[in-house]
Amino acid sequence: MATNTESVDLVGDEAATNLARAALFAALVGAFAYVSFPFPLSPAPVTLQVLGVFLAGIFLGPLWGGLALALYLLAGALGAPVFAGGSAGFAALVGDSAGYLWSYPIAAALVGGIVHRGLALRDLDAVRLPTLLAATVVGTLVIYALGVVGLVLSLDLALGEAVFQGAVVFLPAEAAKIAAAVGIVRSDAITAA
Amino acid sequence: MTLSYVPDGALAHRLDPRSKLLVQVAFAVVAYAYTTPRGLAVLTLVAAGCLALAGGGPRDLWAYRFALPFLLVAPLVAGATVGDPWFDVDDAAATGLASYRVLLILVVAAAYVRSTPVRESRAAVQRTVPGKPGQFLGVGVALVFRFLPLLKRDLLSAREAMRARGGGERPVRERMRIVAVAGINRAFGRADRLGTALVARCFAWNPTLPRLAFRRVDLPALALAAAMLAAAVLRVA
Repeated sequence: MATNTESVDLVGDEAATNLARAALFAALVGAFAYVSFPFPLSPAPVTLQVLGVFLAGIFLGPLWGGLALALYLLAGALGAPVFAGGSAGFAALVGDSAGYLWSYPIAAALVGGIVHRGLALRDLDAVRLPTLLAATVVGTLVIYALGVVGLVLSLDLALGEAVFQGAVVFLPAEAAKIAAAVGIVRSDAITAA
Repeated sequence: MTLSYVPDGALAHRLDPRSKLLVQVAFAVVAYAYTTPRGLAVLTLVAAGCLALAGGGPRDLWAYRFALPFLLVAPLVAGATVGDPWFDVDDAAATGLASYRVLLILVVAAAYVRSTPVRESRAAVQRTVPGKPGQFLGVGVALVFRFLPLLKRDLLSAREAMRARGGGERPVRERMRIVAVAGINRAFGRADRLGTALVARCFAWNPTLPRLAFRRVDLPALALAAAMLAAAVLRVA
């Protein structure tokens, strides 16, 4: 074992809780990959991962929400089975799904920034419906825009083909996730936030 | 079965995790630079070699079965055209090569995952990224590995409970909401207990980590990474 001779530098109470919440949220987004819902118009089963991205921004705020999703990517790259279908490894970050994955931290930070209007968290009861909708729609657009760019670059598809295969067919399911996210925040069902 | 670390005495298990990460990055770079039939044929040998050195085989690739349909469909989508000639072979071939390239990168990643325990990955992160950001990433990665199976079980049991009560008949956004609320409440509950427990146990920014050192056995891996990066740079330049 390596030896440290400097004195112990304790992590503060608030930072420890925030770190634990960010890590648990990252694991939750990974666990969402295993819960799929058959969806009428979608070619692939729909998982809740994008919902996890919205909720990370909404409940953890732009800073810790973005960090949680960054942790998710790093843990997946180092071998935690958190990507779609329980796959893992660095390859996902440079393969066909790369655009979607890299967009998650950005989307979570954006959603959090719009909902909380800045870095500091505000009471979710004070957030109005149009703000929530705007935040989740912007998040969805960022995820699919970057996802399509990733498809074009990694699979050599034309832009139109990538938009069809990688975005249009999934959008109806995203509307359901936006509705679910709004429902979760409006219902006061989250006790620990 | 998901892909995970398997204890073994294989060569890749004795390498420093940082050299294995470097090989993966170099492999991805060179695969993007040489997406030609000949280039990918050579890289197929390299990828198979990496997996073999980690003591793995085709069985380890089963974890990627969900990625395969998308990679197989992509060339068909690329080749399909509206109107004559209905199927453009050149477009399909280009995307087929690109799909195969992604598959090869997956194989090399599988070799890393199979040969590297979580503690070593964490140590590699903390020794590469200095200071508190490195600590945050290292601790966070370790916690994600630890809590993923628990949260997965929480979600699946929430879905079972919903179905047992006839919730399976509700619209899909309602079902998503019910499962997600249960998952988040459990995750927040676990996080707050964990935060308290960490503080109670003197959770520090500077804990003691396993020693990592590049050794002679790392030289071939580092040389391979350097050669692949050099080849990619030559190609692009």
